[in-house]
Amino acid sequence: MFKRYFEKIWVQNLALLALTGLVVYYFAFIFEFKYDFDWAVFVVEGQYGHMGHLMLNGINTTLTITLYSAAIALAMGTIFGLARLSSFKPVYWFATCYVELFRNTPLLIQLFFWNFALPYAFPEEIRFKLFDMNFEFWCATVGCGIFTGAFMAEIIRAGIQSIPKGLLEAAYSSGLTFPQTLRKVILPLAFREIIPPLGSEFLNNMKNTSLAMTIGVSELCWSMTEVYSLTYRTFEAFSVATLVYLALSLSIAGILYIVNERLKIMPRDRITPLRRVADILFWPLDFLGRKLEYVFWYFRKSPDQRTVSPFKQFLNRLGKDLTKALKFLFVAAIAYILYMVVMALFHFNWEIIGANFKTLLIWRFPEGDETEFCFGLGGLASSLLMAAISIAGSFLIGLAVGMGRTSKNRVFRIPCLLYIELIRGVPLILVILWFYQAILEFVFKVDVQAFWAATIAMTFFFGAYIAETVRGGIENIPAGQVEAAKASGLTYLQTMRKIILPQALKQMLPALVGMFIAAFKDTSLAYIIGVMELTRAAYAINNRIMIYPFEIYTTVAVLYFVFSYFMSLYAKRLERKLSPETIRIEM
Amino acid sequence: MRVLKITAMAALLVMAASVAFAGPTYDRVMSTKVIKAGLSNQGIPFGFINDKNEWVGFDVDMATEIAKRLGCKLEKVVVNNNTRISFVQTNPPKVDMVLSNMTHKRVRDEKIDFSITYFFDGQKFLAKKGAVKDAKDLANLKVGSMQGTTSIVNATAYLKELGNANPQVTGYDGEVAMFEALRSGRVQAITTDSTILLGYAAKVPGQFELVGDFISDEPYGIGLPQDDSAWRDTINFTIQDIWKDGTYLKIYDKWFGANSQYPFPLTSKIEMWP
Repeated sequence: MFKRYFEKIWVQNLALLALTGLVVYYFAFIFEFKYDFDWAVFVVEGQYGHMGHLMLNGINTTLTITLYSAAIALAMGTIFGLARLSSFKPVYWFATCYVELFRNTPLLIQLFFWNFALPYAFPEEIRFKLFDMNFEFWCATVGCGIFTGAFMAEIIRAGIQSIPKGLLEAAYSSGLTFPQTLRKVILPLAFREIIPPLGSEFLNNMKNTSLAMTIGVSELCWSMTEVYSLTYRTFEAFSVATLVYLALSLSIAGILYIVNERLKIMPRDRITPLRRVADILFWPLDFLGRKLEYVFWYFRKSPDQRTVSPFKQFLNRLGKDLTKALKFLFVAAIAYILYMVVMALFHFNWEIIGANFKTLLIWRFPEGDETEFCFGLGGLASSLLMAAISIAGSFLIGLAVGMGRTSKNRVFRIPCLLYIELIRGVPLILVILWFYQAILEFVFKVDVQAFWAATIAMTFFFGAYIAETVRGGIENIPAGQVEAAKASGLTYLQTMRKIILPQALKQMLPALVGMFIAAFKDTSLAYIIGVMELTRAAYAINNRIMIYPFEIYTTVAVLYFVFSYFMSLYAKRLERKLSPETIRIEM
Repeated sequence: MRVLKITAMAALLVMAASVAFAGPTYDRVMSTKVIKAGLSNQGIPFGFINDKNEWVGFDVDMATEIAKRLGCKLEKVVVNNNTRISFVQTNPPKVDMVLSNMTHKRVRDEKIDFSITYFFDGQKFLAKKGAVKDAKDLANLKVGSMQGTTSIVNATAYLKELGNANPQVTGYDGEVAMFEALRSGRVQAITTDSTILLGYAAKVPGQFELVGDFISDEPYGIGLPQDDSAWRDTINFTIQDIWKDGTYLKIYDKWFGANSQYPFPLTSKIEMWP
């Protein structure tokens, strides 16, 4: 009886409304905030200047970095994605090194490395020239670009490789030349595969620009911190920054949605209104494409040209020699870089690394104060611990929310959707700050150590991501199984527990390991609230020694890399083992 | 129904927690015998990590001494320039006192309370030896300072006063990044409280020097939660006691005395109430 009513849309809407009302009522009347909001700080000129202008400047810088770094990332991604498909081995190795190296170390460490260590690799005159050109800004922009580029390269490679060989054979046998096949078959198909994941990389890149604050670029997060440390208006500053990031994420997601709609294949008689809008928006591009087609038509090679003129032959020969020379040059350049790296390693102050290695691994455990986290546990050990705890916690959140997200009932679906989209639209650094300085303090009135605050924040953050993975896993299960379960009289929870989740979870395992790597790398962000994890430990050591930033940041990068890389190898193996096509059934 | 029940339970829990944590700082410290102190861990010589990975510094010693005299255990909490005020401002406060080379300013005093001044400093500039002959030279230099401090605001105003309409002042994330910027040459001068500058200049002896005059007065106070006079009195009396029996001078000499790494003569006296 109750259940039947609950299936009606208006009951669900009413329940949602009542829930919202309860939350509003609770926070407006019962809950004691003990905090006076004063939104005027952004419009009134205070003793330390106009905070509104500060925020606007920050937004401007964030947008600039986002746009530039996205362009750099796309360029890097295309070049290295293609290089990963190259049959010339040195190019392939180089591209693979780039992708693995940059994907498996945290962006924060990369930025520190570029900012603190790299300048010392140059002679003084070049260094000063670099510093004259707004160094921190370009450091952050190029750093973000290179980092995101490594992810894009993989997406582009996978997209191109996903084209079935048969299609290419068909294209060639029907007489298309390679450029034609590229234009007509490979690129359109590859793009359809590539664009959605590429879009989410653009979104990540936008959120990652928030890390630029740690090297002194006055972007949005920087402005936010400046506002709250000058006016002590924590909630106001955080809220404005969060809203701006959400708005940016939503606009990027909106653009992607329209692009996706444009790329979908739909029959002419079933065109959605959104598709029409997308068509109108893409009209200039389509127009350009059609005109280009015309140009290509006139420049095409005539098929009956069998003889080659001496000039043409010379050109061909020149082209071949040039490629050979370029290949040789490339190998020489790689050899030179390798030589430089070996020499740099040789000149490293290994004593410094050796003396501080234990500190980097476990910080001062077990000699720390009893008031410290776990007797002074820190460094790599606490990074791993933080990642493990937060992934375990977010798995539970993700399971519940992911199930709620797939539910037909709005009362469950809409709150879950809000949670997922809200968290995924905000940079992790902001989530950590929210939890450490606002939510735990004011809303839950609990006071925990920075380590736990960061772990809780990460749990909530990754919960949203895992929820999306869970949703994907659940939706992958054929609908027939659900129907069969229902027909045999199982309830929703029973169906989930006995049929759907066991299969979905098995499929999700590699993704979960991937999430663990991401969490491990992102523990570096806890640095911002003073958790003594690996990055902060490196920072503290560098603070003390000052003159060996190169050695310290390289060691830290290697530590992060080793763990992430081997985990990702494990994830790959797991994927192969779990995919049903390759598994060998043994009797 | 179950959802409602869980919500109600959660609400009750939250309310119970808020009751348990309420109460003035003085009562809480005296009953739990634990003082939570906000300290910086990257500001040489006030609070930093030494080569034995111990958290030491002038502020750390002061906090330890205060806790010892009140018969309490000290719990050190990391704060930085951005969090040092908001941590005592929250209700209940995240820390009971903040010693983080924090200048007592009227704007700050509107939000939190301050103890009497326990250290006297002023803002100066640090530059490469011989690079700046006259204070006027500073006007057109690229200058680094720290984000979230008033030093950056002071410096911008000072450079404007010297005649540069559009001063280039970058706010770095903490002392280390700021000093690193000067050392690598991306800024030609850095500015903040002179003792901190001395602390970092001592890292590479003989290369950097303080230039120009003090551009501001920086009397350091201990940040305390607002409107808890019993607690503020306790702290003030303790500081005066520390001064009276000479312990203050011992701590001062350890960090800033003539034989220390960062010599900085003591110029004023702590305010003493008869």
